[in-house]
Amino acid sequence: MNPIEVAHIAKAFGDTKAVVDVSFTLQPGEIFGLLGPNGAGKTTTIRIMLDIFKPDRGTVSILGGPMTEEKKERIGYMPEERGLYQDIALDRCLVYLGTLKGLSKSEANQRLEEYLDRFDLTEHKKKKVKELSKGMQQKAQIINTIMHQPELIIIDEPFTSLDPLNTQLVKDIMGELRDSGTTIIMSTHQMHQVEELCDRILLIDKGRDVLYGNLDDIRRQYAGNAVLVRADRELPEIPGVESVVSHNQATKLILTPDTTPQHVLHTLVDNGVTLEKFEIAIPTLDEIFIRVVESGEA
Amino acid sequence: MSKIWLVASYDFKKHAFKKSFVLILLSVPIVVCLFIGFTALMISFENNDAPLGYVDQTGLLSDPLPLPGSDDDERVEMIAYDNEDQAMAALENGDIQAYYLLADNYFEKREVELVYLEEPGENAREDFYDFMQINWAADQPPEIVQRVADGNNVVVRSPDGRREFPTSGPTVGQILPLVISIAFIALVLFSAGYMLEGVTEEKLNRTIEVVFTSLSPSKLISGKVLGVLGVNSLQLITWVLFGILAVFVARNVLNFEWFQNMQLQWDSIAMVAVAGVLSYLVATALMLAIGSTIVEAQEGQALGFIFYMLFMVPLIAVVVIGENPNGPIAVGMSLLPFTSLLTLSLRNLFISIPAWQLALSILVHLLCVIGTVWLATRAFRLGMLRYGQRLKFNEIIGRKKPTKVERGQA
Repeated sequence: MNPIEVAHIAKAFGDTKAVVDVSFTLQPGEIFGLLGPNGAGKTTTIRIMLDIFKPDRGTVSILGGPMTEEKKERIGYMPEERGLYQDIALDRCLVYLGTLKGLSKSEANQRLEEYLDRFDLTEHKKKKVKELSKGMQQKAQIINTIMHQPELIIIDEPFTSLDPLNTQLVKDIMGELRDSGTTIIMSTHQMHQVEELCDRILLIDKGRDVLYGNLDDIRRQYAGNAVLVRADRELPEIPGVESVVSHNQATKLILTPDTTPQHVLHTLVDNGVTLEKFEIAIPTLDEIFIRVVESGEA
Repeated sequence: MSKIWLVASYDFKKHAFKKSFVLILLSVPIVVCLFIGFTALMISFENNDAPLGYVDQTGLLSDPLPLPGSDDDERVEMIAYDNEDQAMAALENGDIQAYYLLADNYFEKREVELVYLEEPGENAREDFYDFMQINWAADQPPEIVQRVADGNNVVVRSPDGRREFPTSGPTVGQILPLVISIAFIALVLFSAGYMLEGVTEEKLNRTIEVVFTSLSPSKLISGKVLGVLGVNSLQLITWVLFGILAVFVARNVLNFEWFQNMQLQWDSIAMVAVAGVLSYLVATALMLAIGSTIVEAQEGQALGFIFYMLFMVPLIAVVVIGENPNGPIAVGMSLLPFTSLLTLSLRNLFISIPAWQLALSILVHLLCVIGTVWLATRAFRLGMLRYGQRLKFNEIIGRKKPTKVERGQA
């Protein structure tokens, strides 16, 4: 059973088409990146998945069928619009939200203690939420999302306001959750985090899915015919190279369609060039994102 | 525990454990206690139970009839003096608080002279007036004397004969429905505030989206309504208990005459209670709808104030209602939500409200309750994810498709 199956959903608000046609499937135990520029339809897609909005068209199957009250307890959600009860103590706030997710009060208290300790928030648990820093509130949001040990987690910009230490902690926890079989959808604009964590991605633009699949496959698909070279001296003229551009302290050689990287490597070695770096130029996700969104290509 | 009860319990504790709530809870009893205490204090300042002297140079009081109630120490003791010197000596000695002089030309001038060192008690003056009154009629048959002693007893009766006012003004039983309706208005105002706060809290602090993925909007709103209902019940019970205690103290400890014969009108109390409960439901549902549509809490408070004012409209029209309690304005305001509560109570002071009007009022209120609950539920569902964007009335009633939440969020 796939945790989520979305098929051709569409949603309009008045004259604005927020989602036009989006389809994707989540596989159990993966971290899935839901990407897209601002206003692309990501939040609406998530809200449709969670049954907050009804789609105008299309279907959503979540944890094996339509959303139910029981299934809500098996899902953890951290929305883009962050929110905790500001005027009460942190522990009371999280225990209350935990009990709404089906935990008993004692279970919620026990798990909260563990997570507060792990996130280094124990000494702040009696403080009112509004007295906590942004980073602390972000950690509290993450605790609220995972405390009831959900099977499916939908998390929007999980690393906002976190310092490098806590960013690593959250990444470690996400890895642990994936290893234990939890499926995670992560929506973020931090592409390097997606490259590091996600197995597969979906890129939405203007309400449509424009890029979907395995991250490595996508990068290879967008790699083009180019190599990155760094040598001990200036590179000689190489037949089959269309253009040469500087790229992060290396040189990017764009090859003609009938030239292979092996051919370039042979030429360089034959010319006695000592190579410090030679690799197939794979584009970053940032580059793919910009390329796809700017060109409107799929 | 059911999630509805979890929400209800959370919301109840959130309101009930606030210092401001305790202040509100105690404010009404404190005001009642202050009122009773102040009244008792004023009466004690005005009254003086020390004996009162008189010097009668006319012979009118040579063999005086005693005041009714003199034997029970309910009246000020009247002491006769042969001449002014004796009376003055007694006054200066503190034996009496003042003395009256009935000069020998009293029958011509009909004037008495009051001599005192300090202002005598109001009760002493009244008792001497009664004392003179019965002794003027001393040569009449005993039943005449008794009638004179009883004083004026004009009963104002409504044309249908179902409402009576004694000379002394409305009784506790007649006033009580009005007091209950005012208590209900206070309750509605507080509950509306709690409901507004409860609904806007999740929207303004952005927890609503997380909460929606934990339980359905209908369960969330049911829990919130139950929470506010619990808080209001606590308020109402506390106020009723304090009210009973206050009446007990006023009646049995302070011996306020007004509370001695209460004659509760249970039909009127039931009428006001039904109108109060229905008004409560309409107002609460409306505040729920308002809370769902607004962008900032201050907006809701401003809109809520308009509803508060609607409750008070009958006070502005009290003269019209009093002069013509069966007139079209009074009847119309009895039928409409908000104005009905006070209007019914005020009319009830003067007339017996026809059953058809009560039935029609209840029907109108029930329809309004159904309408506002529907409106509130729709507004809640449509408006709660509108961060920073106002919900339009046409969208709530379904005449216009909702606009996009926010481009940046999609």
